[in-house]
Amino acid sequence: MAGKNPFPLTRDELLKCYRTMRTIREFEERLHIDFGRGDIPGFVHLYAGEEASAAGIMIHLGDGDRIASTHRGHGHCISKGVDVVAMMKEIYGRKGGACNGKGGSMHIADLSKGMMGANGIVGAGAPLACGAALAAKFRGKGEVAISFVGDGASNQGTFLESLNLAAMWNLPAIFVVENNGYAETTSRDYAVAVDSYVDRAAGFGLPGITVDGTDFFAVHEAAGEIIKRARAGGGPALLECKMVRFYGHFEGDAQTYRGPGELEDIRANKDCIKKFAAAVTGAGVVSAAELKAIGDEVLAVIEDAVKQAKAAPLPTAADLTTDVYVTY
Amino acid sequence: MQADHSNATPCIGVIANPVSARDIRRIVAYAGNLQIADRVNIVLSVLTVAGAMGVRRVLMMPDNGGIRAMLMRSLKREGNLHHAFPEVEFLDMDPTSTVDDTFLAARMMHAAGVKAIIVLGGDGTHRAAVRECADTPIAGLSTGTNNAFPEMRAPTVTAMAVGLYATGKLSAEQALAPNKLLEVSINEGQRHDIALVDAVISTDRYIGARALWKTESLAAIYLAFADPQAIGLSAIGGLLHPLGRREAGGHAMQHGGDPATRRLALRAPIAPGMLREVGIAHWEPMPADQPFPVALQAGVVALDGEREMAFSAGDHVRVTLRENAFTTVDVARCMHTAAREGLFRLSSSTL
Amino acid sequence: MARKISMKQAINEALDQEMARDPNVICMGEDIVGGAGGDGEMDSWGGVLGVTKGLYAKHGDRLMDTPLSESAYIGAAIGAAACGMRPVAELMFIDFMGVCFDQIYNQAAKFRYMFGGKAETPVVIRAMVGAGFRAAAQHSQMLTPVFTHIPGLKVVCPSTPYDTKGLLIQSIRDNDPVIFCEHKNLYGFEGEVPEASYTIPFGEANVVREGRHCSIVTYGLMVHRALEAAATLAKEGVEVEIVDLRTLSPLDLDTVLESVTKTGRLVCVDEANPRCSIAADISAQVAMQAFGALKAAIEMVTPPHAPVPFSPTLEDLYIPSGAQVADAVRKTLKGGKH
Repeated sequence: MAGKNPFPLTRDELLKCYRTMRTIREFEERLHIDFGRGDIPGFVHLYAGEEASAAGIMIHLGDGDRIASTHRGHGHCISKGVDVVAMMKEIYGRKGGACNGKGGSMHIADLSKGMMGANGIVGAGAPLACGAALAAKFRGKGEVAISFVGDGASNQGTFLESLNLAAMWNLPAIFVVENNGYAETTSRDYAVAVDSYVDRAAGFGLPGITVDGTDFFAVHEAAGEIIKRARAGGGPALLECKMVRFYGHFEGDAQTYRGPGELEDIRANKDCIKKFAAAVTGAGVVSAAELKAIGDEVLAVIEDAVKQAKAAPLPTAADLTTDVYVTY
Repeated sequence: MQADHSNATPCIGVIANPVSARDIRRIVAYAGNLQIADRVNIVLSVLTVAGAMGVRRVLMMPDNGGIRAMLMRSLKREGNLHHAFPEVEFLDMDPTSTVDDTFLAARMMHAAGVKAIIVLGGDGTHRAAVRECADTPIAGLSTGTNNAFPEMRAPTVTAMAVGLYATGKLSAEQALAPNKLLEVSINEGQRHDIALVDAVISTDRYIGARALWKTESLAAIYLAFADPQAIGLSAIGGLLHPLGRREAGGHAMQHGGDPATRRLALRAPIAPGMLREVGIAHWEPMPADQPFPVALQAGVVALDGEREMAFSAGDHVRVTLRENAFTTVDVARCMHTAAREGLFRLSSSTL
Repeated sequence: MARKISMKQAINEALDQEMARDPNVICMGEDIVGGAGGDGEMDSWGGVLGVTKGLYAKHGDRLMDTPLSESAYIGAAIGAAACGMRPVAELMFIDFMGVCFDQIYNQAAKFRYMFGGKAETPVVIRAMVGAGFRAAAQHSQMLTPVFTHIPGLKVVCPSTPYDTKGLLIQSIRDNDPVIFCEHKNLYGFEGEVPEASYTIPFGEANVVREGRHCSIVTYGLMVHRALEAAATLAKEGVEVEIVDLRTLSPLDLDTVLESVTKTGRLVCVDEANPRCSIAADISAQVAMQAFGALKAAIEMVTPPHAPVPFSPTLEDLYIPSGAQVADAVRKTLKGGKH
């Protein structure tokens, strides 16, 4: 029943991106529930609502391309190909987790997939991504590195220094500002003297694009041109994705800093997955039934991941002091 | 929202778009980037000059892209310095950071009876303002990428001209000029929109990142006017056969991508720093009020450089030129008239 | 018979030989070449004290001058290390660690552990340490304790050109993040250094001098103050043993304990400020593990709990002297049991 595909992605790619976004959404929604029940230790910072950014960008990357993420890293991990079961085990602090239970939600990494880690220090990923880009430049295979930061992190010295370093060394480094309007409780209207990250980039000598981060296709196209240019030696650029987060800064955040009706409004009107589904089914490229089937599969995967995580063994005293060093 | 129709408190509107000049042409072409700080400076110039001309109240479109926040901070600072500004009131609307904000702001400003609307933005912003502002005259300031519609001019001077008109020192006959536009209708008005300069049919079938720059995807180009000094898709017409803003008619051109069908190849500036070869298979004048059917079965209509309306097989797309469709403040004419009539003299001449 | 070169030349040689051997070794830092972007000559400095001079001519773009952005370029070196390169980044003065410390102690130090053993960060951060240059409070510190405290970092502080070359080569080949401390007042100090490449393992202290009366445990420039004290004390019939720690993390506590068990007396000499210093650390460990062997209370010789002063007379009072070390040894002999 598929209509002729008007999108610049194949049908398979569109389905893959939908699956990625649904996986992120269901993963985060499940964590929201389980955290509320007290099952999960520590802090989690949920990416729900921001899926189009991760999916629209990561579809352009391979394992040799690297990303440095934020404290809100589950979406980046999933779209970069980190195993969902390993992620869930890690969040539950179990052996066999992506980091063997040693890192937790804020430090999930998989260097084999080019995922240099979620990071508990705001803005710390930007210099690391510059390093990855430098390594890519030496390797000479056209690989790129992406630094994800938020509107809050855009005020950190590390971010600003990295813009300059990337521009002066012409690094294949791409800075993605996921502007969801809040740094914890503080609105960007307060914290960012001039709310334009493209302006900051221009000031440091790299071009930037602003897109609606809830529009998968806008993100995809803009990211595609930026990444293509970087691979060809065209240097760094910045992509600002204006988006919304559905949950608080961390789970447990009562979000009293939101305006009246704000949460309801963004769920109803700014859901990037709903918009994507409407676009692809509206164009007749995929059917609603196919999307539902994917959704059901995703829910089953998440359910299984939680089961496996809860059943996985906890680390023991013997694990306490392993892997501090390679050798000592 | 109280409407103010009295000449005693002349009111103008200002629509300043924070997201113009932020698109993909920064990467694929050498498009510049007018910083928020620069846009706020333009707004401050416009405000203070309009105020000096006697405009007491300005209605502004709020935004979530940095202009409002910085402007509020700047006005507070200016207040500390005791600089004179008119009263600035933001429209009571929730910005969505989409073109819908401009549509709504223009409607609200018209309803409020503003004498004119000053628009800071690119072609897309001006288009959106015109679509909804009805008979309210607009004055354009270019802060976009191609800026084919708004004329290049110092904001201070535009504010002076708008101030003259808004305070009644110049009449409508003296100050305003008529403009053409293109109407695009799909399925007899089921969907419809306008373009101020160019309506372009592209074989791309998705909106994506909006900006149109890939000449290989062009199918047809309809122009309201064609300035040989413009950049953007209207330059294709401008370098073939210039057509002024006040001259009758428009251009309808069929793209000739295939060398077999092309009758002419032309080099035109499609975006900043980007000269591209374009083939033309056919072109003809476009008289007003005559609908031109679009031949392409499926594609996207780009309005003033941005992909806006997708259509597929079975959709009937028609483009019609309209003349005397909306008014702009003719800044050049205003200033010449003002000089001739001594409107800026503060004393009688003894020269 | 090995030739004699300075510590500075030993560093240069180690970098040169490792860069020649392994194309993944790159260097970056402020003015490590010098002259970038200007109209004058490249390699105009080769580092603020000329340590890296001449390397640019041999290894070209694998030496990169950086802007004044420690967070960015130290972080970039760390990120590149996590991606398979072996960067040697220069933090010009260890006093500058404040502006980039997060990248070092929260990122590089913790990747391997936080990522469950699945990361390697083979970065070397070279930094100048120490007082005596009249460089004042913000360019003269011995911050070794701060780095030693952090699990995941290795900390090296050699006292001779021979140790310097071997330990720097080892640092570059090591797969963990290493803070390599170079005492600016030892740059000119000469000693015998083999021309060939060689390594010295971490966690192996060097007994510089044997003696039966008292153990002096120290590192860096203070090794030389200890040697001065030893010469003075020898005339009094007191023979001190000097243990040069060489690497503070990993620490060769076994050699320290062996020495103290033999002599029964311990003087820790440290150029770092006394609170939470290396000296305090060694003292505590010895007190816990070799208490029974001690014949006297442990003595520490350190600067006072004060920033490094500028005025030369004050700075000379700040830095522990050979005389102060000798006094501390005498104290352990006087007040102790026999």
